[in-house]
Amino acid sequence: MPAYLAFAPIPAFAAVLFVSDDSPLVVGPARLHLTFALDLPGALLLGVAALLWITAGAYASPYLQGRPNRGRFAVCWLTALTGCIGVFLAADMVSFYLFLAMLTLGACGLIIQHETADAWRAGALYIGLGLLAETLLLIAFVLLAMDIPGDGLLIGDAAAALPTSPHRDLIVGLLIAGFGMKAGLVPFHVWMPRAYAAAPTPAAAVLSGAAVKASILGMIRFLPLDTALPHAGTLLAAAGLFAALYGVVIGMTQRRPKIVLAYSSVSQMGFIVAVIGMGMIAGDGRAALAAIFYSANHVLVKGALFLSIGVIAATGRRYLWPMLLPVAIIAVGLGGLPLTGGALAKIVVDGPLGDGAANTVATLSAVGTTLLMLQFVRGLVTTVSTDQEATAAPSLFWPWLSTAVASLIVPWALFLAVPEGMLPNPLAPELLWKALFPVLLGAILAAVLWRWVRRLPHIPEGDIVVVLDRCVKIAPAWGKTVEQAEGMLRQWHVAGISLLALTLALGAALLAQ
Amino acid sequence: MPATTVPDATTADGALLVLAIVLPVVGILLSFVLGGRCAERIAGVLLPAGLGVACIVFLKVWQGGEPLIYTVGGWQPPLGITLRADGLSVAMMVAMAIVICLIGVFAHANFGSRAASIETRAPLVFWVMLMAISGAMNMIFIGGDLFTLYVALELLTFAAVPLVCLDGRAETLQAALRYLLFALLGSILYLIGTALLYGSYGTLDIVLMSQRVHLEPATLAAATLMTVGLFAKTALFPLHLWLPPAHAGAPAAASAVLSAVVVKGSFFLIVRLWFDVMPGLLSVAASQLIGVLGASAIICGNIVALRQKRLKLLIAYSTVAQIGYLFLMFPLAFSADPLHLQYGDALTGGMLQAISHATAKAAMFMAAGLVYAALGHDQISELGGIARALPMTMFAFGLGGLCLIGLPPTGGFLAKWLLLEATIATGQWWWAIVITAGGLLTSAYIFIVLSRAMGPPSAPLTLHAAVPKYQEVAALGLALLSVMLGLVALGPIDVLQVGRPEAPMVQLR
Amino acid sequence: MNAATLFGLCGAALVGIGLYGLITNPEPLRKILAFNLLGSGVFLLFGMIARRAAAAGLGGDPVPQAMVITAIVVAFAATAMAVALVQRLADETGQASISSDSSGAVNGEGKS
Repeated sequence: MPAYLAFAPIPAFAAVLFVSDDSPLVVGPARLHLTFALDLPGALLLGVAALLWITAGAYASPYLQGRPNRGRFAVCWLTALTGCIGVFLAADMVSFYLFLAMLTLGACGLIIQHETADAWRAGALYIGLGLLAETLLLIAFVLLAMDIPGDGLLIGDAAAALPTSPHRDLIVGLLIAGFGMKAGLVPFHVWMPRAYAAAPTPAAAVLSGAAVKASILGMIRFLPLDTALPHAGTLLAAAGLFAALYGVVIGMTQRRPKIVLAYSSVSQMGFIVAVIGMGMIAGDGRAALAAIFYSANHVLVKGALFLSIGVIAATGRRYLWPMLLPVAIIAVGLGGLPLTGGALAKIVVDGPLGDGAANTVATLSAVGTTLLMLQFVRGLVTTVSTDQEATAAPSLFWPWLSTAVASLIVPWALFLAVPEGMLPNPLAPELLWKALFPVLLGAILAAVLWRWVRRLPHIPEGDIVVVLDRCVKIAPAWGKTVEQAEGMLRQWHVAGISLLALTLALGAALLAQ
Repeated sequence: MPATTVPDATTADGALLVLAIVLPVVGILLSFVLGGRCAERIAGVLLPAGLGVACIVFLKVWQGGEPLIYTVGGWQPPLGITLRADGLSVAMMVAMAIVICLIGVFAHANFGSRAASIETRAPLVFWVMLMAISGAMNMIFIGGDLFTLYVALELLTFAAVPLVCLDGRAETLQAALRYLLFALLGSILYLIGTALLYGSYGTLDIVLMSQRVHLEPATLAAATLMTVGLFAKTALFPLHLWLPPAHAGAPAAASAVLSAVVVKGSFFLIVRLWFDVMPGLLSVAASQLIGVLGASAIICGNIVALRQKRLKLLIAYSTVAQIGYLFLMFPLAFSADPLHLQYGDALTGGMLQAISHATAKAAMFMAAGLVYAALGHDQISELGGIARALPMTMFAFGLGGLCLIGLPPTGGFLAKWLLLEATIATGQWWWAIVITAGGLLTSAYIFIVLSRAMGPPSAPLTLHAAVPKYQEVAALGLALLSVMLGLVALGPIDVLQVGRPEAPMVQLR
Repeated sequence: MNAATLFGLCGAALVGIGLYGLITNPEPLRKILAFNLLGSGVFLLFGMIARRAAAAGLGGDPVPQAMVITAIVVAFAATAMAVALVQRLADETGQASISSDSSGAVNGEGKS
């Protein structure tokens, strides 16, 4: 079974290529049913996500060879895959929630795959925050369902009804909190470094690449981007931009490549959220597509980078440089290296970000990302195989290379599909320079840092999760108090007295009308 | 107030209702005559037959859209006794019959009659009591007057208590005695209530009373006594002292019956009382009080469950918490604002919660029983490796857990969705916090158990006994049922409203 | 004070005594006796209600009488069962007590 994981997402990919009409598919009886539809944002993300799931599935098969729990890995993988595809296709709230829950459960299973103590802790943190986020979303969905006229539960209707809802601010708050947790906004990013570090490499690739984008799609589907909501938008943009910088700063202090990548995810997801937030401030619906484009690029790049960890670890020093070159290109591409998908993505989001402070922060984040990615490549070199002559097995190498190549080609294909005139020419010299200079700055900074700064402060992975750990340590004391109180209530005479007291109280409450 | 005093006439197929009660009684009598060796075979025929009857009644009510009625002996109330099956009754009847049948399958391993073995008491008692519970539950669901319901309630208690102490150890005997005495206290309160009501209205028939009932101190006192008595029998926090030892001490099959089926009997009576007998009499303050009890059950039960070291006790405390959810429907159904009365949603949500909890909890107790049988203990900290030894069992446990947490597409999710919708429609957001916090706490202990079970064993795992496949299948079947409930309920969910008035009850305040 | 009121007061007193005993007495056997007292009080209540109907010209309402007979049978069965349990418990442990919470609810060593 684990050998055929790569085939599972093929129907989803085929659907993106061949399904052209967006009429919904309705499953179930007339009164309450699940509805699926393929709209443009969903199709874009579904396409690249399916591509990543295919290559990562191919990569997972040799990766799993000879490891324990392969059957369980396959089950969790397929559960997460179903959830991921389902979220991109869901058109009503119940199926969206259903597939989001499936995604969380499957992903949790993937994270605890290795069954180390760290993996269990990471899994607990992931599922705890994940379920908390889903709980908040559930309340938001129920509130939205009340606002939709009639019995329908379609997401489109919900988003349309949201701006005039009496609970608008509450719903928007719940949606932002719920999807923010899933997207790893600071301070809810704590699960990301731990989860990605604990998960097996192919799983980390799909989780950080594809699965986490469910939150982005959720924000775009539910938040009314066509209507200006300046307060919520400012909040979202500020949180996103803060995360974009915070991820870079903390990531710089990390050594392990997986964790550096995880913090880069924190930063990148924050950036995407900020784009959505800026769209909300302006009431500009085009921000949605910009955010989706940026996400699509991030899906493939982050996937390829995670997969490269396994490939480099299997490569000897002798063949290191030919392998490292593509890694370095796509890594720095995330910072906006001209001609890569990253540069295209930056051009696309330039419009929604505007010219104000957000743009400055975006440039800063590009510098930081370059720095962070160079740090990643540097960390990667230290993991190289001790065997000089070793080369990665072809079954690991080819899936990785195809992901890397796809991450360079697909953004161009998508960019060129945009009607001419809507976006500036990416080959124009001033744009090339605008993209290049943060990268150069980042590279110079990296050189300075590596040359002169001997030691960076050590920050534990997951940074503020340490505080959470301490809270978890206090909790048993509270639990014990509750348990003791409950034990007292269970004594016979206490229960008898509570019976009488309850009778009096209920009688009084009934008579009081 | 409607002025109809048209007596209920026996409807076509009303005799089926008699069959639903008589079948188990026949089984009990036959078992006593033919002895313990035949008890299992008798139950094996009659319990599925009971399920068949329940299904036919369900279909008739669902398709007819009218309650089935049977007046016993042709005597009209108030003198005679009427059996009535409305939407609530038939839904619960079918659900409980399915659970009981699957528990019967599961129990074959422990209480099965083997050829050429010495006849022991436990199998006879178990099968007789199982049939008695099935009959008593049917009587509770379709009994048409409050005194018949009292008798059914006592029958249920008398059938449940022996199940607690089937193995005859001192601690289970003690648990059974505690259970019996506290339940008797509860039923006496109920009896006082019926006496007062009869004194006021001269009838105990549900339909006649709902037409005559009005706001007066004696009625309210009676209602209070009955409700609190039923709280004691349902083990609503803080009157749950008997539940954890009784449910955790009993053999697995018995725990499953007690937790899944028996507590729902007295709960159903509370629903009957406030929704059918005295609709509109529950004041807002009282409904909030009931809600507070339910909420403290959820919070406290879940926290204490988190701290348990034994699996069966954990599940028992989770029952304490889940009972709390059932009572949240009262503040939601009887809210202050009559314009937004979410009568239907809250009632449907509550009943769905009762049914999905029955299936999920039975599956979990069965799984715990199998784990116990395989390991010889049920210490949670030493469950390591059991998931690999009994994958199907732990899968069933996990699925049951998903239903308790309320993840889609389980029945628990649909129930919570309906309850949440009702909280928002009535503007009582504080119950929404309790509902969601309870779900998170539940997920914590389910995660703890599953993580221990999937972890490596501390010592090489030796299984004490081989676990029969069909037992695992029974547990998994119930767990899958609880998962599917969210989907299946999409069709016949309207049946719950059959026989209920269209508009919310006449407002008497 | 007519007869019905007197019976009612007696019933109430019995209920009160029974409740007190059932809740405070640690001995299971006494709890069972207290339960029977409580039950008797309730049966008196039923009798009083049957009697009240007599004032309306009937010779006594038959329905409460039928109920009280049923209730007495139920109470009898309950008492028999409780006594049997107490006896088994005393056989097993040498003493019968239900107020100590030594049963399975204690976390830890207890096994089921």
